[in-house]
Formats: sequence, C-alpha cells, structure tokens
Amino acid sequence: MGMDKQESVKKLFTVQSAKVDTNRGDAYYEKLYAQCRARLDELKKLKPLNNRMDFTQSIEEAGLERRDFLKWASATTAMLMLPASFTPLVAEAAVMMNRLPVIWIELQDCAGNSEALLRSDGPQIDEIILDIISLEFHETLQAASGHQAEKQMDEAMEHFHGKYLLFVEGSIPLGMDGQYGTIGAKGETFVDHLKRAAEGAAAVVAVGSCATFGGIPAAAPNPTDAVGVMDVIKGKPLINIPACPANPSNMVGVILHYVLTGQVPELDSLLRPKFAFGYRIHDNCERRAHFDAGEYVEEWGDEGAKNNFCLYKVGCKGPMTFNNCSIIRYNEGVNWPIGVGRGCIGCSEPDFWDKYAYERPMANANIKAPTGGVEKTVDEFGLGLLTAAGIGIGIHAAASAIAGKKEDGGEA
Amino acid sequence: MTVKKLIEKIEGEAELDFSLKNGSVEDVTINFGFYRGIEEIMISKAPRDALVITPRVCGICNHAHLMAAVQAIEHGYAGTGISVELTDKAKAIRDFTLACELIQNHVKWFYLTILPQLEHLTKEESKENHALKASYLSTTITKALAIFAGQWPHSSYAVPGGVTCDPTYVDVMQAQALVDETVRFFEQVMTGISFDAYEQIDSVAQMHEIKGDIGRLLYLLGHYDMAKRGQSHDRFMVLGETTGFVQGKSIATTIANVDVRYVEEQPQSGTTAKAVTYKKRQYEVGPLARAMVAKDPLIRSMHKRYKDSLLTRIFARMHEVAYLLRICQTLLKGLDLRQDSCTLEGHLLASDFEGIGMVEAARGSLIHKTVVKERCIENYEIIVPTQWNLSHGTQSEKGIAVEAMVGSQSMDEASFIFRAFDVCSVCTTQ
Repeated sequence: MGMDKQESVKKLFTVQSAKVDTNRGDAYYEKLYAQCRARLDELKKLKPLNNRMDFTQSIEEAGLERRDFLKWASATTAMLMLPASFTPLVAEAAVMMNRLPVIWIELQDCAGNSEALLRSDGPQIDEIILDIISLEFHETLQAASGHQAEKQMDEAMEHFHGKYLLFVEGSIPLGMDGQYGTIGAKGETFVDHLKRAAEGAAAVVAVGSCATFGGIPAAAPNPTDAVGVMDVIKGKPLINIPACPANPSNMVGVILHYVLTGQVPELDSLLRPKFAFGYRIHDNCERRAHFDAGEYVEEWGDEGAKNNFCLYKVGCKGPMTFNNCSIIRYNEGVNWPIGVGRGCIGCSEPDFWDKYAYERPMANANIKAPTGGVEKTVDEFGLGLLTAAGIGIGIHAAASAIAGKKEDGGEA
Repeated sequence: MTVKKLIEKIEGEAELDFSLKNGSVEDVTINFGFYRGIEEIMISKAPRDALVITPRVCGICNHAHLMAAVQAIEHGYAGTGISVELTDKAKAIRDFTLACELIQNHVKWFYLTILPQLEHLTKEESKENHALKASYLSTTITKALAIFAGQWPHSSYAVPGGVTCDPTYVDVMQAQALVDETVRFFEQVMTGISFDAYEQIDSVAQMHEIKGDIGRLLYLLGHYDMAKRGQSHDRFMVLGETTGFVQGKSIATTIANVDVRYVEEQPQSGTTAKAVTYKKRQYEVGPLARAMVAKDPLIRSMHKRYKDSLLTRIFARMHEVAYLLRICQTLLKGLDLRQDSCTLEGHLLASDFEGIGMVEAARGSLIHKTVVKERCIENYEIIVPTQWNLSHGTQSEKGIAVEAMVGSQSMDEASFIFRAFDVCSVCTTQ
C-alpha cells in the first residue's frame, strides 16, 4: 500500500505536464505575424467606437511613460506565449482595443471578479485598458440604471449583433425555474438573461469559477442548482477564465488576443486559454525547490513555515491546479497565496469547493490528479471561426452605425 | 399609491416598493431577489472549509467573513478546553488586513456611489473622474493587505491559532509605504488638509476646515438642505471584537453593554433576506454606530446638531477612513516579528464544538456561528450587517433604513438615503 502511494506520487510529479507548445517554428510565427499585421491594418482604418477614450492620451494622463508601456507590452507578449518580435503588434493592439465592443453581465456572483478586474487589481496599464475597451454595457459600471440601463443593453446588443464579446460573471441557478436570481425591472431570470445576451455574441467569455464551473453556489448540495455558462450556452465559441477571483491579466490577455488575431486563443479541454492555464501552479512555484529537496511545512507556524518550505503536506493543491498565478501573482504582482504560506486551494479547477477545500492534505484526499496534463485541445473550435477579415468588416459596419447617429457624424 | 423602483450597483440589486402620499414617502418595502444558499452549503462540510467558502459570500467584505469564520472556530475550540492564545503579532496582522479592507470599501463607496449620486441629485455634476480616484486608492491599500494575506479579494490566510504568513521587515516597510501613500491621498485629494490637522478637528464648528472631496460632500449636503434628512431610530449596535472598536450599544447617547444571545434572526415575506433584532428592537450598525459607541468627539458633536441623519451617517464613514489609517500605522509600527505567526498545534483538533465569531466589517457587525458534530458542520449561520440596517421592521417599529426614508420628498432622495447605508445585496441574501 505504502509502495503504491509512493509510486503514484512519483508518477504524478514526473509526468510531463507542460504540454504547451511555446515554439512552433519560424514558419508558423511568420504566417501568424502577417495575419495579425493585416488585421491590425484593417482595424486601424476604423474609428474608435462611441467616443471611447484614447489610449495614448490616457497613458499620459496616468503619468506613465512610453517606456513603461513598452515594458508592459513585452511582458504581455510573453504571457500570450508569442515571440518577442510580436511586442510592437501587441502594443498596437492595446491601442486599438477601443474598437472592440464588449458587453459584461453579472449573474449569481459575489461581484469579486468585477472587483478584481475593475477596481482593485491588475498592473496599472491593464486597468487603463479596461477603461478603454469598448465596454458597451456593464451593470455596475455604467451610468444609467433601471429601464434606461435595460434599453442601453438592448441597443448595444442590436447594434453590435454578431460582433460583441460577451463577458459573464457568476453562475446560473436553474432550480425553481430560475427564480433564485432575477434581474431588471421585469424580473427576467438569469438563465433567460444569459441566453438573450449570448444570442448575438461573437464569443462568450466566462469569468471566474462561478461562471465557468458553477463555483461556490454549486457546492454540495447545490441549493439553487447552479451551473456554469457552458452548461447553458451551446454552439458558440466559449472561453473559460476560471479562478476565484479570475486574474485580471488573463481577462485582458483574452481580449488582446482577440484584437490581435481575431481568434479565440488556443484552449484546453476545459476551454481555458492555454497561455494562462497551460501549466500547473507547481511547475513554476517559488517553493518548488523545497518540494524537490523534501522540505515541508508540517503544521502552521512551524520552522518549515518560517523558512518558506513547501506547503504540499498542509494541503497545497498546486500540483493539480492549472493556472499562472505563480508567475502573474495578484494585486499588481505584490503577492499570491503561496507567498504568504497558504497553500493553493485549486480555485481554477472544477469542484474545488467540494474536493479541494483545504483541511485535507492531498495524500489523504480522495482526489484524482489530472496527470494527463492539458494535451487535449479544442483548437478546431476557435481557430478560423472568427477570421480576421470577417470581424474586421463586422466592426467596420458597427462603427459606421454609431458614427451615423452622432451629430458631428463622420464616416468611419 | 405604490411605486416599485429598482436600485442597482449595490453588488446586485434591490427592489424598493414605495408607498407615496402627496409626493412624499410614507412607507417602503425593501426586497432582494437573489439566493445562493451559502449556509446550506456549509452543512456536513469540514469545519475549516468555512475559511475557504465563506469569504466568497462577498467580493467586497470577504476578509471580514474570513475573520468571523476563523474566530468562530477558535471560540469553539476554546469552549472544549483547547487553549487558543494568539500572539500579539498574529492579532495585529489580522486587524491590519481587516482595516485595509474597510478603508478600500469606504473610499470606493464614496467615489463610486455617494459623490456621483449626490452630484446627480443636486445637478452639480463635476467633470472629475471619481472612478479613477476610487481605483487608485483601493489598488494602493489592497496591495498593503496582499503583502500579508496573499491576495484580495478572497484570501484564506487566517487559520485557527494565527496567520500563515511570516513577514520580514522588508514586507512591513513595503506595507508602511503603501499606507503612507494612502494617507497622502487622504490629505491631498479627500480633505485638502494635513492628516495631523484633520485629526485635530473635534467639533462641528471646525468642520469648515475640511476641503477636498469630503469638503465638497459637506457643501452639497448643506447647501441643498439635506443635512438633517434621513433620521432613523437613533439606536446603535457594535458587536465585533476588532482592534480600535468598542463593543456596546448606544441609545441616543447612552452606552450600555451587549450580549450576542439577544440577537435574533427572522425570515421575512417577499424577500430572501432575513431580519435581525436585538431584544426585539431595531438597531443600526456600521461606522456611525461604531463612532457613537466609541464616543468619537467629532461624530458626537455632529450628532448633537444633526442626529442620526444622512449627513452624520455619510460623514461617519469617511471619518472612519482617517481613524483606520492611523490604526494601520500604529499596528505596523508595533509589530514584533520575532513572535510566532501561529500558535495552535496541528494535532489539537476538536471533533465537537460550537463557536461564534464576531467582527466589525465595513458595513457593521458581522456574526458567524458554527456547530460541529463529529468533525462535520451541523449548522452554520451568517448574520451580516446589512440585515440589521435593511430589515422590514417589526409590528411596533419600522426598519432602520425604512424609517430613514419615510418623509422623503422624492423617490430619488429616498434612494440616496438608502444608499447612504452602503448596501450590499450579495451579503444580505447570501
């Protein structure tokens, strides 16, 4: 028995987990570069939507120098797993984010992702980008409320039909005919609200563990029968950005990737972008050397804890959790849970709320480790579906519609 | 005549059903149509799972939930004879991170809700980007929090017996720098005077010295004759055992002790939120309650002139920012890093216990109660601050916020009074 456990642990940690192909050869990247270049040139011909803020100007207002911006661009290029030669393209794409319409809806949530995204997290430039992306509708952020807000959302959905990215925060309660969560003056259920919003979306992005896998509301016994977006929306390109809260860098990464390539990024079998979820917490953990050396924290506050030893024995789920927190970290990169001696709870994995919660060290927990890695992809799903030319024309038409409505007009 | 009005941007939404008579508000019913069932979810889970699950009740006051959850377990352990003595260091770190959370909440509420809504109501819209100010300050202070807690929102770094982090002097210095940066923002943008000068102000007569955005708030409320609106029962409650705050109740200005055994929860019709009373009576919780119970001179002075009005309530929350910033500085300065971070030995686990955790969250007293049988949670109760302030009331008296809204000249004014309580839908309904 002891031997079996040892063997299985050995297998778990020797399996090749990082199945992300970070070098696809010159030919691939040259082709991709040309594709991105063409798309950006196409986008550049369009006017920004709806008088969106100008990026260059906002950067200056925030007192940031161009050098800082380029530093950010090169870090983001690396995060998206693109060669350094793409840095100027990423910088250009950031400036053109105000040409992409985004609608954001909140369902059965705690507002934590909106908090993380819009107010309290993310390097300063990410934050500015979020001011700039053409956020057509966000329940918390927009000025309008009540009937006016509903009208605004309906209008945005109509104008940008087939072109907008729909971001969804929170799970969807299906119990009691959806009555556990309603929205707006008419009391529309969350499930109907989501279906209506998704109908005209180019792609749907589920943000946070609630929207992706049902999250905390879906914890046993799942009182409201809460599910994730992928259980409700079928037949649409869907991207999952789990974690509780989701890392704002990854949200920006997805939008940027879309602006840059016109495509959904490469996804794993749980529809998570590989650039963010292609490796385990454990693979790049700052405490990894202590794991390899067999140095563990045995209980909170012991000598091991004082020396930042590995947290595996106090229940860290880093070895079975796919996410990039060990690199990106949280709150402007200040820290992350393992940095304060608190093991990973696996918050970007399905069912973490029932399986991974933390009193149970991994060896004693009844958990099946994802030894298979993330090799199973759904490339076919995203690639080619939203071609550069297609979306370019789409945005062009949308911008024209808006421009025509403005008094000072001007054709895009 | 009854008119339904939807209130948004309160971390979800609430429906207010107004009964109007000759244009003024006669009665209001507050309803929430949202439910996740967090208390049900806790049943039959491991006691410490509460440290991971309950913070996720709310994206804004998640840290307060963590503190209440860990205190409930510690209280329960103590009841079975296990000694749970936290070091001063562990206590100070917990209180510091909680204070940071309160600060970010208050400032965000001020810039994202109160100031824009007030400008809208008085038609004195400014061109300033309030949202950017909110984001700057909350980013700064939550970074200080994350140095010890790992991340915000949703950290679980507090464990029975202490905290998991073991900070170095470099960490502490980094946190001090971030707190100082926040203080500078408070001086330059929020009040327009030095922090020391602000702390010297202890009566209404000196309040004209306050400039900046808080000065603007005072001007708008005064100029548009709103200073005395929104008065309620003038009854306050502080249950949390958190550094800097005093436990007790205040009726008008008389302070008395409290006992959590008199706190009762009742379901209400038409809403998923439960009501809370203390000895069957309505009490207000939150920054105004804390200042009244602690006999803060400036707030007492305001209360003398304006009672528990809109002005006193809003200002008390902003005044608390200064108070908490000073506490943050003191806590960091006093940290003795040689002490242990966590003192509870791992093998000491109680299999059956009952515990209560009470903390002061941004919006007022927050209570967690856990009942554990054979290492599994048998019952879990969460009583949040907003339940105190937003209940429908009893037969004999209206709820706190309802009472405050009655008599308003318009629904817009009433909605503003409602928002002054810093409403959070997701907490209230869980």
